[in-house]
Amino acid sequence: MGRGTIGLIVLVVAVVGVLSSIFITDEREKVLVLQFGQIKQVKTEPGLGFKIPFIQEVVRYDGRILSLDTAAIEITPSDDRRLVVDAFARYRIGDTEEKIIQFRQAVGPGGLRVAEDRLASILIDEIRGVLGSEGVTSNTILSAERGILMNRIRARADEEAASLGLDVVDVRLKQTNLPEQNLAATFDRMRAEREREATDERARGEEAAQRVRAQADRTVVELVSDANREAEIVRGEADAARNRIFAEAYGADEDFFRFYRSLAAYERSLRGTNSTLVITPDSEFFEFLDGAGLSSPAAN
Amino acid sequence: MANNGGGPWGGGGGNRGNGDDRRPGRPGQDGPQIPEIDEIMKKGQEQLKVLMGGRGGRGPNGADGGGEGPKLTRGTLGIGALIALALWAFNSFYTVRPEEQSVELFLGEFSSIGNPGLNFAPWPVVTYEVIPVTREQSEDIGLGRTGSSGGDGLMLTTDENIVDIDFQVVWNITNAADFLFNLRDGPETVRAVSESAMREIVAGSSLAPLLNRDRALVAQRAEELIQLTLDSYQSGINIVRVNLNKADPPREVIDAFRDVQAAEQERDRLERQADAYANRVLAGARGESAQVLEQAESYRARVVNEAEGEASRFSAVLNEYQAAPEVTRRRLYIETLEKVLGDVDKIILDEGAGGSGQGVVPYLPLNELRRTAPATGGN
Repeated sequence: MGRGTIGLIVLVVAVVGVLSSIFITDEREKVLVLQFGQIKQVKTEPGLGFKIPFIQEVVRYDGRILSLDTAAIEITPSDDRRLVVDAFARYRIGDTEEKIIQFRQAVGPGGLRVAEDRLASILIDEIRGVLGSEGVTSNTILSAERGILMNRIRARADEEAASLGLDVVDVRLKQTNLPEQNLAATFDRMRAEREREATDERARGEEAAQRVRAQADRTVVELVSDANREAEIVRGEADAARNRIFAEAYGADEDFFRFYRSLAAYERSLRGTNSTLVITPDSEFFEFLDGAGLSSPAAN
Repeated sequence: MANNGGGPWGGGGGNRGNGDDRRPGRPGQDGPQIPEIDEIMKKGQEQLKVLMGGRGGRGPNGADGGGEGPKLTRGTLGIGALIALALWAFNSFYTVRPEEQSVELFLGEFSSIGNPGLNFAPWPVVTYEVIPVTREQSEDIGLGRTGSSGGDGLMLTTDENIVDIDFQVVWNITNAADFLFNLRDGPETVRAVSESAMREIVAGSSLAPLLNRDRALVAQRAEELIQLTLDSYQSGINIVRVNLNKADPPREVIDAFRDVQAAEQERDRLERQADAYANRVLAGARGESAQVLEQAESYRARVVNEAEGEASRFSAVLNEYQAAPEVTRRRLYIETLEKVLGDVDKIILDEGAGGSGQGVVPYLPLNELRRTAPATGGN
């Protein structure tokens, strides 16, 4: 083994030693340096760090906002109507050294997985607590006040999670639905409401139609009877005019009228072959039939 | 997420698989001592070679090489140095495409944003991540893909009705550094925030306006609320738009809703039919009225005209009569009887000559006389 080889080994050992004594903290990470389980350093800022090689170890935690979805739970608001609720939380490991130390102490070597479990149960507790508290009804949850409730859950969860070294950034409710078994009843109710509306529409349609028809019928009767009235007036005027005309004309010589009108009536009524007249020839018309007038009156 | 740059230890050409494992943020990762040492050894050797390559030209190494491996000559050292340089350059230069940006970290600390084009990040002190920023990414929500129960887009409204909503959120990244450093699950966060925001809006609204009038408004409010929430995370995400693809009653009750529409149509139909009926009978009535009036007028005209005619005829005859009353009277009488008796069937009985005051009785039935009239008349 030559000097060169020894030199090479020394160099390798030196390089390995240097490299294992520096570490990089990423922008996205929080780093703990442990020495046989004892916390020696906390790094919250990114950059280069140094540690004693082989003795100290580096533990990295994600410093970004992490997500957690809760399982759907059934809650009972104060009006006893059950709702199925799930939520998600956005949280991160605290930014200060104390919080990171607290986090490590609270979760142990399990890391974020343990933290998630703890946080999930905190969340479910707080959701139940806030949504089941006095004065919160299902109507409150299903209204614009939902945002206030979510903030309240977030604040309480944040308080609880502080002991885990976690900051709860946001808690938001996702679904707030009816339990499966109530769904059918709700659908039935919605259907019934629609049926009511549909029936109402149809009934109103029929009502309107009937009204229009009735009005039309009435107008028809009014129009026709009005016309009849006018017509009778006209006829009456006509008859009156006729009477007046006749009276004026015939009044001039009543005696002649009787004679003339009778003759006209004979002519009109005794017409054609529809009647047989049995007469004696002694009427004035036949005064000459028996030859009585052959002699001139002057001769007598 | 983009993994181009590897871990903080500069996942260079050689050990990409390892670099992947070393990505920060794996939950529950603790006690990473052994892989770290391994990696450091490996890396160290690699870097050593590079260092040696770099110095090969003037160092005394040529004399030391006897112990192991092939003899190091200036030539092989030069070639090794070139190869090492090439590898280093290959690791340090990278391209950013037009829709992307890169985030460069100097020893893990954010240093700069790399714009599209060729970028230089001297390995291993500078690492980078390339992120598609302007490219629009979308999340479809409510299509029955989410695992949780009721995730098929059924949402409860404030009046306790259920509405089926499908929508799409289109987003891109405005701040690549924020996006990278503040959120672990970008798309998943957009998805969860969007669903929550939409449910919040729906929970504050009643069913009827959601289905028609407020559709556009809902999309707009959802966009604002999602953006607001994501901004509170400093996520660097920009919501481009929210497309409300569907806001319908649930499948189970949609028939009832359709029936309402049918009923509206039917109502309309009934009203129109009634209008048609009214128009028809009113027109008929107007026609009938006009007819009745016209008939009355025609009656008036006829009656008056006839009366006037008859009256004037009478007056004319009267004038003549007054000129010669006796003659005219007799003439009129004779003329009339002439006309009447000329037309009519007649039986002339001479009571004085034929009978003895018995009248017509002996001749009954008179109708029979018609046949025998010529004979009788002959008498």
